[in-house]
Amino acid sequence: MRSSLKIFAALALGGASFAQSPFGMPQQNLAHRIILPHDSPVTLSSDQWDGSAAAARGGAYAIDLRVALTLRNSSKRRIRGITLSVLAQEAVPGGKGSISVPSLDVAPGETFPVRGALRLIRPIGDSGSPMVEVAIDGILFDDLTFYGPDRLHSRRTMMVWELEARRDRQYLKALLDQEGPERLKKEMLAGISRDSSRPRFGVQVIHGHPTNTEPDREIQVAFLQMPESPLEPMGGTAHMAGNEAEAPRLVVHNRSPRVVRSFEIGWVVRDQQGREFLAASMPSEMRLPAGSSSQIFEKDAALRFDSRTAVDSMTGYITSVEFSDGQFWIPSRATLEESALRNVVGSSPEQQRLNQIYLKRGVSGLVEELKKF
Amino acid sequence: MRINIWNAHAPEAELAIYGSGPESVWQSPWIWFHVSRCERCRMRAREYAEDRKYLRHAAELLPTGVNWERLSSEMTANIRVGLAAGECVTPHPARRAPGFRSFGDSWRVAAACAGFAVLMAAAWWLNTPAPRTESLSRAVKAIASRTFMGGDPGGGGLGGGLLRWDEARSMVHASAQGIELVENGSSLGISATGVSQSDARPVAVTLSVQGSARAHYVDADTGQITITSVYAQ
Repeated sequence: MRSSLKIFAALALGGASFAQSPFGMPQQNLAHRIILPHDSPVTLSSDQWDGSAAAARGGAYAIDLRVALTLRNSSKRRIRGITLSVLAQEAVPGGKGSISVPSLDVAPGETFPVRGALRLIRPIGDSGSPMVEVAIDGILFDDLTFYGPDRLHSRRTMMVWELEARRDRQYLKALLDQEGPERLKKEMLAGISRDSSRPRFGVQVIHGHPTNTEPDREIQVAFLQMPESPLEPMGGTAHMAGNEAEAPRLVVHNRSPRVVRSFEIGWVVRDQQGREFLAASMPSEMRLPAGSSSQIFEKDAALRFDSRTAVDSMTGYITSVEFSDGQFWIPSRATLEESALRNVVGSSPEQQRLNQIYLKRGVSGLVEELKKF
Repeated sequence: MRINIWNAHAPEAELAIYGSGPESVWQSPWIWFHVSRCERCRMRAREYAEDRKYLRHAAELLPTGVNWERLSSEMTANIRVGLAAGECVTPHPARRAPGFRSFGDSWRVAAACAGFAVLMAAAWWLNTPAPRTESLSRAVKAIASRTFMGGDPGGGGLGGGLLRWDEARSMVHASAQGIELVENGSSLGISATGVSQSDARPVAVTLSVQGSARAHYVDADTGQITITSVYAQ
């Protein structure tokens, strides 16, 4: 695939035209290219880069990318999701981003839009003008097959999104079939209300050396028990230093008969005022044979909360598990509804999409959308 | 040298030489003639002769083999050290350039300094983002801690292992407004205000402890979800 790249367009070069950035720095247009392999399941129908620009800030370009692509499904399968990598510079923090569109249902031959806005960094180097490359990182089809280099681990992410989408649609369809449109309407309103009232806190993930403050205390991390989960968390700790939670360490046990390839844990934080929020997720790639246990330790990672948040306790829960055969496990909707996670964990991308359809088109529009799948 | 042997006294130098040996009488006959007639000069010449005797006796008391050049150098050095020490402990008025006025001379200088400090503080408050101020504060605290606790910036630290260094850490920040990348200590010139993503307000943001952040956006017309991610690693 890599050997025969089909490279589209190197359109605008810097220096020809300048504008003034909000920072008072002269901006220049952005050189860019879209890389689609010859066997790509999508082809480029059109692209727009209006508003994209780069401004020199210190020793780097601050790239403001605004892209709108129209892609055509040239495969014979329906596309469920796509992730495009956006690369300004591989090595520097902030030089890499991605744009993902989950919950798609694109039939063969149909076109679909991919729009995104990203701000990236590219060191000012010998190449002169700033440049970004947009390429396919992964495409997920309706049969859960995957295409792409998967450099950003988009396969795992898009698989979880797709399984969550199927789970949520199935849950809503069951409500509709069993209790009618009014019950569906009530459920949607409750979900929208939860999403809008869910507290949001400022959290920073710090990756690098540990903090310069003294660890105040070690807290035990509680775990939400899910009997259906193939992994059982056995215990965990984290160091609290001021308003930072550092170096999470936990032990998990594979109680399933299958080999686990990777899994992800969500961290729920409760502050001293009793408010709970999902702080971060911790993906982990490790081979865990059936019946075995292992320890996970992120010694260089820390979560820093805003100064008004006094952490009281932390709770972890298993958000997804990938088996060695490529299959996945995610919590059921019933488990989430019954547990304390209901008011803490955000809606899936598909639930967010359906919420918007309900707000725009009402319950009839939602029913029509659910019947498509 | 011509002297008035009748009225004036002989010079001190001539009197010191007079009587130093038998040949001195022949070299300065008029001094000899004057001393024989002047009581004062005769007494002075006698004093010089007694001093010579005393010095000869004292020289006999010195140990043999004295290195006079080295002794002279050491004495000179000791004298200079003493003079320098005296300069240190002796109070003296500060040296001032011509036309210089001390702080106490005028309240205007103090007022100007205070005004300048207020101006600098206001400029800092208006122009410097809070995260950068916090970062600087942390760095100053780290330096202070290192100074007082004897820590080392290498990471292990001393003083009970309490001090660790956190500069050059990359951060992704998620809030209700979206996600942004923060890079302190970077050589890229990225300010602590970071690189925020998009102007729109996301419906959800998620963080990964491995150093990435996602923001979910919903198209109001179609409902299409777009998830943008930024990676600090």
